[in-house]
Amino acid sequence: MVYRVGRVDVNALRGVDFSVAPGEFVAVMGPSGCGKSTLLHILGGLLKPSSGRVIVDGEDLAAMSDASRTDMRRRKIGFVFQRFNLFPTLTAEGNLKLAERIHANGKPGLDGDARREILRLLRLENKMRHKPLELSGGEQQRVAIARAIINRPSIILADEPTGNLDTENSTIVLDMLRKLNQEFNQTIVMITHNPEAATVASRIIEMRDGMIVGER
Amino acid sequence: MDNLVLSNIRQRPIRTLISTSGVALGVILIILNTGLARGMLNDRIRREQGVGAEIQFFRIGAQTLSTSNAMPLDVRYADRLKKIPGVRTVSPFGNYLQTGNSGLGFEMVDAIDLDTYSAISNLRIVEGHAFQSDDEVIVDEFKARRENKGVGSPIQVFGKTMRVAGIYSPQIGSRIKMSLGALQRALSQENKCLGILVKVDDGIAPEEVARRINAELPNNKVVLTRDIGLNFGGQIPGIKGFVRAVMGLSMVVSSLVILLAMYTTITERTREIGILKSLGASKTYIIGVIEKEAIAISMIGIVAGLAVALIAGFGIEQATSLKLEFHWTWLLAAALIGLGAGAIGALYPAVRAANQDAVKALSYE
Repeated sequence: MVYRVGRVDVNALRGVDFSVAPGEFVAVMGPSGCGKSTLLHILGGLLKPSSGRVIVDGEDLAAMSDASRTDMRRRKIGFVFQRFNLFPTLTAEGNLKLAERIHANGKPGLDGDARREILRLLRLENKMRHKPLELSGGEQQRVAIARAIINRPSIILADEPTGNLDTENSTIVLDMLRKLNQEFNQTIVMITHNPEAATVASRIIEMRDGMIVGER
Repeated sequence: MDNLVLSNIRQRPIRTLISTSGVALGVILIILNTGLARGMLNDRIRREQGVGAEIQFFRIGAQTLSTSNAMPLDVRYADRLKKIPGVRTVSPFGNYLQTGNSGLGFEMVDAIDLDTYSAISNLRIVEGHAFQSDDEVIVDEFKARRENKGVGSPIQVFGKTMRVAGIYSPQIGSRIKMSLGALQRALSQENKCLGILVKVDDGIAPEEVARRINAELPNNKVVLTRDIGLNFGGQIPGIKGFVRAVMGLSMVVSSLVILLAMYTTITERTREIGILKSLGASKTYIIGVIEKEAIAISMIGIVAGLAVALIAGFGIEQATSLKLEFHWTWLLAAALIGLGAGAIGALYPAVRAANQDAVKALSYE
């Protein structure tokens, strides 16, 4: 992936080649500037790679137009961000409903039982009427996770999900991601610079200078 | 209030207030200006038709609402008209257009031959007496009451101070009447008038008498009083253009206010747009959210504008001699223009928001 910044071309990713199996939980680790976020944005269709292929559920994002990638993202991809990125004017319930409305053109979302199960798993049953500012950081991130999975995406892309959380809330959030993976067979790709956070994943990919340098 | 559009409106009260005020202003401009134009015109038409003359006779090209105050018709036409079968009474008259005594707008002064005019219209003096000199006038009860004019009060006509000699009823024609002879002398147009009122005999159709007048006195303008509304609308110079200009200006004002307000809002909410894109919201969806917000704001502005316009109209009528008439078609037009202004004004910011780079938007501080 090559960025143009002013008159300078920046090689954000060089020859990255890996795959994630359905139901797998993969952590991508590396120092700041190694290309983790760029990789995640490409996987989520927010960026178009300058070369190569990006296959998600049999569809090549790299060959799609912006509108098609947006549609793909709506149907098959859920994002969790470091800064939660909830709508401050909506309650937790409103944030989930917004995601459901955007998704409404495609497949139906979770049925009532599955929805309740997710909320139970994320311990959000009594938090749904609160606005983000009325919730702790950990609670906000759990709402963001609920929003990401409410439409049963093929893959969750988590960008430093514990980056803004203290140790206790980080542990809670990582534990919940692990449970989502184990109990719901949810495919997750998580980027992190924290080695401890990466240990919840079943596979860790290490990146440096835009390249994959190791895997364990 | 878990709706993104409504919660955004509520979350930014100052922005919402400014935007709704912009739309309301446009609505008020349209309603008050069309109401005033319509009210003044219809009031004039009603009072003209209330005189009781079925026909008005003019020279070709004569303008009844002109600022030139010309009197191109010879009063001796009255004698010729009187001889036409079916004509009962005739009365020559003139008009003088001047700045309103209350300082607002214009007002018309009728110059009449009181005896023949009274025979046609049943005008009667209810207080004081008829004008007896060139510097005396009579006013109707409405003007006397509204401007606190009594017998002997001073009043401005021709830029001169004249005296109210009497108060008359009913409210017909202009609200100030003076002697036709006085106007002739003031304008140095002896034996001239603007037109002649014609009262038709009972039982004869005015159209038939008009036909006879045309046959006897061709190449003149013979107007049935019931058609005078059509005549006025065409004579008031530029009124249609004025109304269209007001509507266009209102739309531009409202659109610009909405455009600026929404543009600022979009800048503040760059990250929110990025979040919507990360959720898979299409460009159409994003444009739709912003347009819905603008339309919701416009609807609040329309309701506020309608309320203020109607209240202001009532207040204007109470405080001045101006007449306003509201018609549902103009209220609907004002509302539709307000909605259109909101939708159009928000379009550029909406498209701009939808085309933002998602990654940059998500990292916007």
